[in-house]
Amino acid sequence: MSASRTGKALTKYKIVFLGEQGVGKTSLITRFMYDTFDDHYQATIGIDFLSKTMYLDDKTVRLQLWDTAGQERFRSLIPSYIRDSHVAIVVYDVTNKKSFEYIDKWVDDVKNERGEENVLLCIVGNKNDLVEERQVSTEEGERKAQVLKAKIFVETSTKVGYNVKNLFRKIAKSLPEFQNDSGKLAGLDGEAGKTAPGVIDITTNTEEDTTGGCQC
Amino acid sequence: MKQFTIEIAKSDINATFKEPNDDMDGPVKPRRTLPSKSPSVPNLSQVFRATGPSNNLFKLKGQNLSQGHEQSGQNGLGLSYSSTNLSLIELYNDENGEEEGNESLSASLPEEVGINAKDVVPQQEVIPRQDAGLDDLSHYDRYGFKKQSNYINENEYDGWWKDYSQYCIRRKRKWQSLLEKSGFPMTTEAPDRFPPKSEKLKRYVRKGIPAEWRGNAWWHFARGQEKLNKNKGVYDKLLASLETKEYERRENSRDSDIIERDLNRTFPDNIHFRRRPNESAEPLMIQSLRRVLNTFSIYNPKIGYCQSLNFLAGLLLLFMDEERAFWMLVIITSRYLPGVHNVMLEGVNIDQGVLMLCIREYLPHFWHRIVNKQYSHNNQFLYKLPPLTLCTASWFMSCFVGIVPIETTLRIWDCLFYEESHVLFKISLSIMKLSEEELIHEHGPASKNMSQDDADIEVFQVIQTFPKKLLDPNSIFDRVILKRRISLNNLNQEEIDRCRKYVRAQRLKYKNYADVLGSNPKSNGERNALVELDVVNDALSSEVYGFRRSLTGLHWNNSIKEKVRQIRKK
Repeated sequence: MSASRTGKALTKYKIVFLGEQGVGKTSLITRFMYDTFDDHYQATIGIDFLSKTMYLDDKTVRLQLWDTAGQERFRSLIPSYIRDSHVAIVVYDVTNKKSFEYIDKWVDDVKNERGEENVLLCIVGNKNDLVEERQVSTEEGERKAQVLKAKIFVETSTKVGYNVKNLFRKIAKSLPEFQNDSGKLAGLDGEAGKTAPGVIDITTNTEEDTTGGCQC
Repeated sequence: MKQFTIEIAKSDINATFKEPNDDMDGPVKPRRTLPSKSPSVPNLSQVFRATGPSNNLFKLKGQNLSQGHEQSGQNGLGLSYSSTNLSLIELYNDENGEEEGNESLSASLPEEVGINAKDVVPQQEVIPRQDAGLDDLSHYDRYGFKKQSNYINENEYDGWWKDYSQYCIRRKRKWQSLLEKSGFPMTTEAPDRFPPKSEKLKRYVRKGIPAEWRGNAWWHFARGQEKLNKNKGVYDKLLASLETKEYERRENSRDSDIIERDLNRTFPDNIHFRRRPNESAEPLMIQSLRRVLNTFSIYNPKIGYCQSLNFLAGLLLLFMDEERAFWMLVIITSRYLPGVHNVMLEGVNIDQGVLMLCIREYLPHFWHRIVNKQYSHNNQFLYKLPPLTLCTASWFMSCFVGIVPIETTLRIWDCLFYEESHVLFKISLSIMKLSEEELIHEHGPASKNMSQDDADIEVFQVIQTFPKKLLDPNSIFDRVILKRRISLNNLNQEEIDRCRKYVRAQRLKYKNYADVLGSNPKSNGERNALVELDVVNDALSSEVYGFRRSLTGLHWNNSIKEKVRQIRKK
């Protein structure tokens, strides 16, 4: 069995990636998994599955990443994958207004399947390295994330590798695994949740943030 | 680059074709994009008769695969824009610059700070992509695809190709002699007439059509010319309609938007589809692909554009000209995969239901891995398809393009056009049969203690990655498809057609009941509705029994039924 190194089964978390096609879902996953980037990835048809074991604060969890096709007609196929996901990452492209407008639909799908409380909703604005082509401002993104009650909002660039690990670190820290104990970071994160309900703002323009930093 | 936008209201399209003068700028006058229809595309004869500087991709020990029809200077196959006199070498040299640029870019990027998050082990063995290596043509196969993938490295590829290219040469000789014996003398490099269907020809097809002949052979076996003859000029009219003012006004057409975003995501690893750096013109192949997909989307409004059509059209364009590729796309989406690409994707769900029925019938062990025991006895899996089907759905939508390595894909396509769609089911079942060994090897036999969820993940992962390693078409064809006395080979087109009909009817009935009873789980009557749906499900499931038997005893049952019918008539 591939279950674990420590002998006990790892806690598994399902993360589903949603969003219009071409916004960079596959790219986001590839950056996270292999730290590489291609200008063009083959379009995803149906669903791709990847799994990754992540280590954070002396704990290890297994993340199951579900990469989905973006075209609208595929939405009918995806609900069953959302149904038991712990995390939904809805991605848009900051250089494409339409992809931003469409995130409402994806978030609706998530809420219909999972209810509002049962899923950790993340909104991700990708391609933020394309400064000149930007059509959606960071503020708009934040505002929308707040309205949609997303727990996490970040802008990323999978091309230059900006904020991708940060995103997954934030997600990991929000998982119950890291909140049950009195872990230092988990504690901090909990506080952050209280002070800024809804959205965690990490819109600073630094590259990958520094060790263990919670930027609130 | 000017974008095409789809402008004409769908209902106007048909009228447009009947009356070309109606509502257009005029009859089909040649437009900016029209002339490029054929010459721009390296069609079969051009592709495989490249005249550019020779490359060594096809040369093996002094032989090349067009052997027997070699003409002086024609040893570079498949890898040149012959029509534009651009050799791949030239293409390649340009690309080299870009790649180096990319490399230095990535090298200059700050390394991500490790923080606490560190990767333990990726579960799959994946070879990291190394895109920097564009330094010579030997990194590409004879169709222009990069040899290396996430699952196969170049050494493996070269090692396999050394033998497989010899196999191809042997097979081609056999084909040549078959054609000559059948009275089709080899006057051209790529014959366009083939003997009538026979067991022998079927076997030949299953062992692979010579690569240089594929365009013509597919066109022939799929009866493309018949289709084209019935629709003379239609493609040109469609092209013309892309250029009308009316069309351009509808800037926001969703389909052309989506097509535009998929063009460069079609075969990013293929030199014919890659944009050349320092070159503002986009690849001719991309231009052709845009035209085929846009014309198709107005030709068939029920489908419009569906992701995966880009892969189908893209692969066709590597083997035939634009107009033929268009009609082949029409044939694939209507004859072989009816409804699969429609807006509602119902055809996908039907085919997945059929596939599930087939698994239950032919691969009972595998079946128990993917379907919870408590549901396996009834028909529920036809309406609530097992999770695995989202992986296998893409196999059908793209006819295995991108699912299995290219030579294997092409072999499947050979059979698809010769034997029709049941081939896709057979291949799917074969992949599962073969991957079962890996499942058992890696994860042990299906465990009773394991939750269905964990089992699903296990299976999903193996089924998703296993096909990507099927570099050698013979590994699947010799072991399953070409084997006699294997129950799977009872599966024929007739059976699949019946299965499709049955599953469609079952799904429809269930949906109708569900609509009436209300299956929305959030409604207050949830419990009752679900209970009633269970009853419905049981009732519908009782209809499967007779069908299941007919899966194995189809012909027998048919003849009995026929006799009974005749007796009654009398």
